[in-house]
Amino acid sequence: MATLDYKELAAKYGLEPIPDSVTRLTQLLAKQDAELEDIARVVTADPELTVRLLRVANPRATSDDEFTIETVEEALMRTGVGCVLLLAMGVPLTTAIIKTFQTMAGIQLQNVHPRSVAPIKGEHVCGSIGFSGKAEGRVELRMALPVARRVAGAVLGVDPQELQDPHAVSDTIGELLNIVTGNFKSNLCDAGLNCRIEPPKVTIASEVTPLSGPVGGVERMAFRGPGVEVFVTMVVNPWAGLSVRAHAPANPPGA
Amino acid sequence: MPVKILSVDDSKTIRMLVAKAFRPYDATVLEAGNGEEGLAVAAREKPDLIILDVTMPVMDGVTMLTKLKENAELKHIPVVMLTAESGRDNVMHIARLGARDYLVKPFKEDQLIGKVSRIVSLQPRAGTPAPAS
Repeated sequence: MATLDYKELAAKYGLEPIPDSVTRLTQLLAKQDAELEDIARVVTADPELTVRLLRVANPRATSDDEFTIETVEEALMRTGVGCVLLLAMGVPLTTAIIKTFQTMAGIQLQNVHPRSVAPIKGEHVCGSIGFSGKAEGRVELRMALPVARRVAGAVLGVDPQELQDPHAVSDTIGELLNIVTGNFKSNLCDAGLNCRIEPPKVTIASEVTPLSGPVGGVERMAFRGPGVEVFVTMVVNPWAGLSVRAHAPANPPGA
Repeated sequence: MPVKILSVDDSKTIRMLVAKAFRPYDATVLEAGNGEEGLAVAAREKPDLIILDVTMPVMDGVTMLTKLKENAELKHIPVVMLTAESGRDNVMHIARLGARDYLVKPFKEDQLIGKVSRIVSLQPRAGTPAPAS
């Protein structure tokens, strides 16, 4: 191959492009003088990102019908524009989670309001993976032990009852997390936020402890599918490699 | 003569899924948990094709691919990357190193079979139901 063209390669390999909103927001926020209106325009063009920004700006709302802050501009003024980059990063993360569970386990997940799902109580599987570089942070995935066994069984094509070996469950959940984070990391790199990921760590936890990681914003997500509930927390310092300090609130929402 | 396929991935889950995907075919799937083991198995077994992950402990897939292509006895073995890393720079770098194809995780068995069957001839295993195309 004399010269390589990425578009040709991407078409040949069947690779998917990075979401437009992430690229455009990264480029906009990298400029010191980004206008709120420009950022609002990019956010508004992405309905999923808009809903997630409004959720962060309306922390007391238990459903999307209870929003008191209803416009993207108002939400941006409340949360700060650094927050929206964190949320934009969550778009590829959400996509990666839904696609990974659908493709590997045949489980169709839906991103739901985190407060609409009862929190995990007792023993559960917790997978965690960190990334560092121009974007820094950690992604954590939790699910109840029977759910993890059901998911692992679906991935491996075996009856969950046969999966008594906790290592088989841990390895499968770890690999799902690895796939999700690998996809997510690739999107960040393509948006100019080069970073590396650590190997996943999977443990059986008895209680939910706050996620530790770099200083930054926290986004909690919940996903629901048939008989499956998955909780995901993302801690990101979205301005690790960008000059957006002037725009970032001192205490990002949820931090 | 069964097709000999080497699956190099640190995840046992992925190695199991790769082995399962080729079960209906006349193929032998060999396994290695990292690039160093992968090179050793490749040198010993001379597989017809290697399915290679990128991020692995001990030796990653990019290093293994580089060493494979530097080895006169092994450089002809076609390599299909199977990785969650789909970033532009990674893909370009790996293509330059000489990977034949690239499959991004998450993947379905039929996607893997489709990519591999474009490189080696896969025949249904005798006595098994015909694989779904």
